[in-house]
Order: sequence, then structure tokens, then C-alpha cells
Amino acid sequence: MGFGDLKSPTGLKVLNDFLADKSYIEGYVPSQADVAVFDAISGAPSADLCHALRWYNHIKSFQKVKTSLPGLKKALGHYGPAGVEDTTGGAADDDDDDIDLFGSDEEEEESEEAKRIAEERVAAYNAKKSKKPTLIAKSSILLDVKPWDDETDMAKMEECVRTIQMDGLVWAVASKLVPVGYGIRKLQIGCVVEDDKVGTDQLEEAITAFEDYVQSVDVAAFNKI
Amino acid sequence: MALKELSSLEKFLGLKKPNKYSTQGDRKVPVLQSNSGPGVVGLVTIATHLTLEAKKPDLLGSSAEERAVVQQWLEYRVTRLDGCAKEDIRTILKDLNTYLEDKVYLAGNHISIADPLMYYGLHHIIMDLAVHEKEKYLNVTRWFDHMQHYPSVRHHLPPVVVLRNRVYTSGHH
Repeated sequence: MGFGDLKSPTGLKVLNDFLADKSYIEGYVPSQADVAVFDAISGAPSADLCHALRWYNHIKSFQKVKTSLPGLKKALGHYGPAGVEDTTGGAADDDDDDIDLFGSDEEEEESEEAKRIAEERVAAYNAKKSKKPTLIAKSSILLDVKPWDDETDMAKMEECVRTIQMDGLVWAVASKLVPVGYGIRKLQIGCVVEDDKVGTDQLEEAITAFEDYVQSVDVAAFNKI
Repeated sequence: MALKELSSLEKFLGLKKPNKYSTQGDRKVPVLQSNSGPGVVGLVTIATHLTLEAKKPDLLGSSAEERAVVQQWLEYRVTRLDGCAKEDIRTILKDLNTYLEDKVYLAGNHISIADPLMYYGLHHIIMDLAVHEKEKYLNVTRWFDHMQHYPSVRHHLPPVVVLRNRVYTSGHH
């Protein structure tokens, strides 16, 4: 919470918007909250910030009794719209993102922390990855992709199949067109997969998704490497 | 309607003993029955009378100027607000909105008897306003919301929701 820098025009504008539908900073009676914000402002807001001006003049009339107003005077960061930092007395820094559940005073520290953690994680992952290759189980799969009829553009079909990208899937460079009968040819294409990451069902699903070209997919051969 | 309003007003003023009211005429002008002589007739007259009875003359205005403003708004209530036509509503809201732009209360810097009376009079209008209209007459909405939360004003009337579409949310999510 907070209004940004109350000594700057942007902060005053935040205050103005906040007070557009409120008579007081907090609740429905003048309180120490109003006193706190009143004291933070250097002078009367300009006439175009009509709500802030209205509030300012109103609170000014309570100057004699300001110590007896209810409530506790808290730091400016406790008042105002959520998602805005209080930067009065420091550099102006407006943040108009969504609500920050943890309070925007901690935001800057959090992002430093977050960065550090992310860096650590990346380093750990890299370390892990460099060890991995020796332990991965791989298989070589030969797939038969059958078209609807002999009119089907096999080159296009192969292109579609090759567009299927998955983590752990590598298509073989060569592929064959094997005649089946009645002029129909099936595409025989091989690939190398990491067992943990890709399953034959996933592959089949992905290939049969190209319904225009592919009638069915079969696993012709499956060898462990 | 006027009778409920008057009893709410009594509570607002802190009057312990409720008075007896009746109405007269087809416009249902309220009459305060008194033991001595003819009753007090008319909403404004009764309201003023009650305020003095409750020994809260400040509510009528603390300076001559304030007193005049309070009277102005009491008169406004009875002459222009009560029984107004649909077309007039826009004008009334516009006038009020401009007036309330730099004021928290209708008269001066503290509540007066004009505020609850205008609140009661406006309630049925504000209740029927659409959200974008409430935004249009933002000052009226702000003052209205303030009034309905002011201790001991609301009583018999249901609260009207005034939620504003804001750029900066205030935790209502």
C-alpha cells in the first residue's frame, strides 16, 4: 500500500484517484490515517486534483483537534491502494500491476532473492545435465505411417511428421517409401527416443493428429539401444 | 415513508422517546402530534423541531452561512426531490455532483441535519442507478456511501452497494 511519492505530482494523482469515492483515507470518520497523509503532503493539492483538494481542505479544518482523532498514526505504506509502493522521501517508483499479496514494500528484496534462487537452480540443473548422457535409456523406433490413398502427397506427409517435436525425440535423417499395394505407399521413418520422455502412444497420437494425410500409424520395429 | 424516516431521524438525534406522527392530505405531509395545540406540520419543520428538542442546534449549522446552507438543502429536499419526475433526476444528480465536488458534507465540515434528510430522500434514486451512472455522479456516490456508513443514519434503509472500477484495486479480489 502507499501512494508512491506524495511529494511528487504522480503520488498526488494516486491520492486523488483514491479519494474520488472516499471521504477519508481510512473508514468513514477522520482519523490518524488522515493526519499521517496530511502531514506528508507539502501543501494544498492543485485545483485539478479536485478530490485531493476537497479532502485536504476538510482535514485542514480539523487541525486543532488532530491529536485527538481516533486511530494510530502508522507509516504511509499502510494507507492507500494496494499494489502501490510508498516512496515518499525516496525515488518515485509507481507500480501499477496486480495486487501484490505480500505487500509491495518487500517487492524489491523479493526480486533479488528470486534472481539468486533462479541462478542457483540453473547452475544445479546444468551440473545435473552434464552428468546425464551416460545414464539415459534410448530406443530406436521404426514407424509405419499409412496414408488414406495413393493420391496423398507423401512428401507433405513426411514434412508434417517431421514437424513433431518432443523433448527426447530425434527423427532419423533418412526415410523410406514402401509400396503396400494398389499404388498406396507407406512412409517408413525412424526415430531415436529417450524412454523416460517419449512413449510410442504419444508419438502415434501426434502423428494421427494429421488426419488429412495419415490414416494410421504402426510401430514396425522397436529396438533398445 | 416519511414516518419511518422521522423515526430514524429521532434515533440519529439520540432522542429517547419516540413521538407520535400522522399524515395529512393526499401528499401525506407528516404531522407531529403534540399535546399542546395543533401539531407541527411538514417534514422540514418537524426535523428542525426535533433537532432543537434533542438540544443539538449545531446540526442546523454553526454559523449564519452554514445555517442558510442547511435550510437551502432542507428546502431542496422537500420542493425538488420529493415527488420529482424521472426527467428531473438527471438534473438533480448533476447539480448535487457539482456541488459536492469540493465538499465532504452538504454544509460545512461536519454533518448537519441536511445530510441524513437528503440521504433519505435520495436513497430510492441511488438504489436504481446503474454502475456507470454511479461513476458519472461520483461525488454524489461518494457522499452517499459516506452517509450510509455514518453511525446512526441508515436505520430503516437497505445499504446500496457502491463499488468502483478502479485502476488500483483495494484488496476486494
